[in-house]
Amino acid sequence: MPSEQSYFEWTAELFERSRIFDKPEALKGVRVLELTTLILGPSTADFLGEFGAEVIKVELPPGGDTMRYVTPRGTFWKNASLGFFPENHSKHHVAIDLHKEEGKGLFKRLAARADVMVENFRAGTLDGWGIGYRDLSAVNPRLVYVANSGFGQWGPFSHGRASYDAVAQTVSGMIGITGFPGRPPITCGIFIGDWFGALMAATSALIALHHRRRTGEGQFIDYAQSEGLIRSLDWTWLHAGLTGREREPIGNRDRALGAADIVRCRDGFVAVAAVTDAEFRGLCQAMSTPALADDPRYATLAARLEPAHGDAIRRQVAEWAADLGRADVEGLGEKHGFAAARVATARDRYEDPHLRARGAVWDYEDGLYGDMVEQGPAPKLSATPGRIRWAARPVGWHNEHVFRTILGLSPSEIQALQDQGVVGRWGERVGAKPPDGATADGRIA
Amino acid sequence: MSTEPKAAPSGAREPWAEFARALTDPAQARGKPEALDDLLVLDCSHANMAGLFASSILAEFGATVIRVEPPGGDVARQFSPEGLRHVDTGLAYLVEGRNKHHVTLSLEHAEGRLLLRRLAAKADVLIESARPGQMDAWGLGYRQLSQLNPGLVYVAISTYGQFGPRAASPIPDHDLTNQALSGVPYVTGEPGPPEGPQPHAVPTRQGNWAGWYFGGAWAAFAVMVALAWRAASGRGQLCDVSPAEGEGRMTDYAVHWYHSHRQTWERAGAFNISIFPYTLIRTKDGYSFIAGFSDPNWTGVTNIMGRPDLKERFPTPRDRTAADKQPEIHRELEAWSAGLTSQEVLDRVMDYMLNKRGPGTVASARVNRPKDTLEESHWWERGVFQRVEDPHYGSLLLQAPPWKLSRTPPRIKWACRPVGADNAGVYARYLGIPPSELESLRARGVI
Repeated sequence: MPSEQSYFEWTAELFERSRIFDKPEALKGVRVLELTTLILGPSTADFLGEFGAEVIKVELPPGGDTMRYVTPRGTFWKNASLGFFPENHSKHHVAIDLHKEEGKGLFKRLAARADVMVENFRAGTLDGWGIGYRDLSAVNPRLVYVANSGFGQWGPFSHGRASYDAVAQTVSGMIGITGFPGRPPITCGIFIGDWFGALMAATSALIALHHRRRTGEGQFIDYAQSEGLIRSLDWTWLHAGLTGREREPIGNRDRALGAADIVRCRDGFVAVAAVTDAEFRGLCQAMSTPALADDPRYATLAARLEPAHGDAIRRQVAEWAADLGRADVEGLGEKHGFAAARVATARDRYEDPHLRARGAVWDYEDGLYGDMVEQGPAPKLSATPGRIRWAARPVGWHNEHVFRTILGLSPSEIQALQDQGVVGRWGERVGAKPPDGATADGRIA
Repeated sequence: MSTEPKAAPSGAREPWAEFARALTDPAQARGKPEALDDLLVLDCSHANMAGLFASSILAEFGATVIRVEPPGGDVARQFSPEGLRHVDTGLAYLVEGRNKHHVTLSLEHAEGRLLLRRLAAKADVLIESARPGQMDAWGLGYRQLSQLNPGLVYVAISTYGQFGPRAASPIPDHDLTNQALSGVPYVTGEPGPPEGPQPHAVPTRQGNWAGWYFGGAWAAFAVMVALAWRAASGRGQLCDVSPAEGEGRMTDYAVHWYHSHRQTWERAGAFNISIFPYTLIRTKDGYSFIAGFSDPNWTGVTNIMGRPDLKERFPTPRDRTAADKQPEIHRELEAWSAGLTSQEVLDRVMDYMLNKRGPGTVASARVNRPKDTLEESHWWERGVFQRVEDPHYGSLLLQAPPWKLSRTPPRIKWACRPVGADNAGVYARYLGIPPSELESLRARGVI
């Protein structure tokens, strides 16, 4: 073992961001076909794509994915919605009219050459179109078919009921346990059920591929995002089962960890958590009240979980932090070994050199959109790191490439499909089309 | 090989829901194979629900998971609302003890570290949540264990990760700080009112341990990616998982908007800054969610409300998402819903949808408290909740694994085990340690 190198020198070298593109990709060779809209479906495929899967995104021409029109306060950027970027990286964008028989045939031919299919239509929709699991598994028994939805493919709520992220937040009880008591309910600021659902769905696709490596068998996966959020509500259900009591919203407190809260300080908000006895001792030292750590009301986690005792600690933390800056509180956490971290804004994260060094905030130059800054792949893998290769593309951008290289169609055959309206491209609509002045090879003139 | 129902000839297919149910009903799970039953996982996480959730996912799909706790048990066994114990165990751990073999082992003890090295030599996956550098200092980091076992997939969970300017920060990995750094609480909660700071109008955490659970899901995802690479190359790797970055990956286009327009996304309560209506409204008996934000779907909402004039007043998405227009539309929605129960709102939406009374897709749902959710038959029919009869802990209401896989469904086999309950079995099976030696290891504080 090279003991002369410190751990952090070693990890810095191991994960060096500039070497990412010289390393292999774990999912290279896995082809993902997606027929999806909004976030739940697209990000399921995107997470696989970040680690090397080849993702073919099929949209309906000419408008494409609804997410192409979701953007803050209706503000588009370079003719694209900001909402379309974070779940559509490095994909191959094709547009097929699936209401036409020829379009369905083309889609099935792609599915025959795919490893994973991801969709997020209402239950039974694609089956009704003749391109659902029954149809695609018949042409490709090795296919892993991920059907994402709000309520699942069967069961009383699955029949014709539309769902979005916030429906899942609502029916799962997540909204019911979030926020401050006595206040109107709030939604999570992000599309949390979509993103978490996509992560869970992508994980199950990888698990199904593991099974396929062992047996050769594909399979069907029914994933309901509301059920994923239910799974994530930690002790909620066991508590209800054992006590019969409701779990009430309690703001930023934590009933199960004791000394944890979000407090206002001089220049913003900071989260503080001291859970173990050693961490709590550190917090007391930071607050210059070391004797508190030996006070029987606070000395053990069990004592701190008494609501009155926890409240007293939180009041003290709030008073102490009020005159400090966020960085002061963070520094004291590091010095004394409790958890303290700023309530980060988008700007904080954008400007954070730590996140940039890690590629958690990923800056790159894209051939079509120029300088891009996005959230990068979440887990950092030493041998097969995730990466962003290019940004989202307009509707039908990769038609020629995909139909030629994967299906072997000739340019004249592709042209004929275009003439028949089976294959399409963006119209003049903002959200679907390239930036002004983009040339055919994607450069801005 | 498992079998699947065959599709009937085209044109005479059974209804999709029946077919899908036959394919994936969790009631049939026990007779089917498990996808990950070739894997041995060591979960050495400590005081960390992200690690526990990650190993739960792998265990639900059939991996053999050895849960390594310090003698006396993981402090996570004490995480519980108001400290509530059930058979001497906190509720949070009882939820994530499923299908695991619970052993004790002191990593602070040289002999304990040796035993962990011997286990790691045989393992496929190791999960830890120590402060970065701690395992390495103990000779148990990826640098050392990969020498013993080049195929090992090693997952290290920490707030700031294993590299980067702040990696050496010694702060423990906790849910709330992970949430805070992710950027999610900053955009969640009621906006600051004009009359000045209010205790409830502040950045707001998700009520559940979203930082930890999402971080744990990312860890399980990373394991599966790394196992795909191992299948191709024979090599393991180090997976550096920051739950803060894991949840941060999910922050929509907040970073993009700052990049494109130098705009910082702020809290908006129950409004969404990009789409409207997509919001919570007060009803006669509570609150409901309602959505119909694209032009055709907004038409659907105004048809259901019987207010086509609203469509004329707010014709485009931009008209509806403007900061000053959202409250105006919201007031109109609430004027309509004030006379209806949440169920009546949903009934009207479903009547419009199922009977195709007009264009557009509209979604609605009652804002559930958890006990409301528990009363809905849908989740029970789908096996989302399960009453597990555990020989040690009795009858426990648990959330089941949410995925429905046709061939290799996940499942709960047992709920939890007491501290060190599997010491004898695990140490005999994997390391050949006889019962007589266990007593001595226990006496010396190794296990």
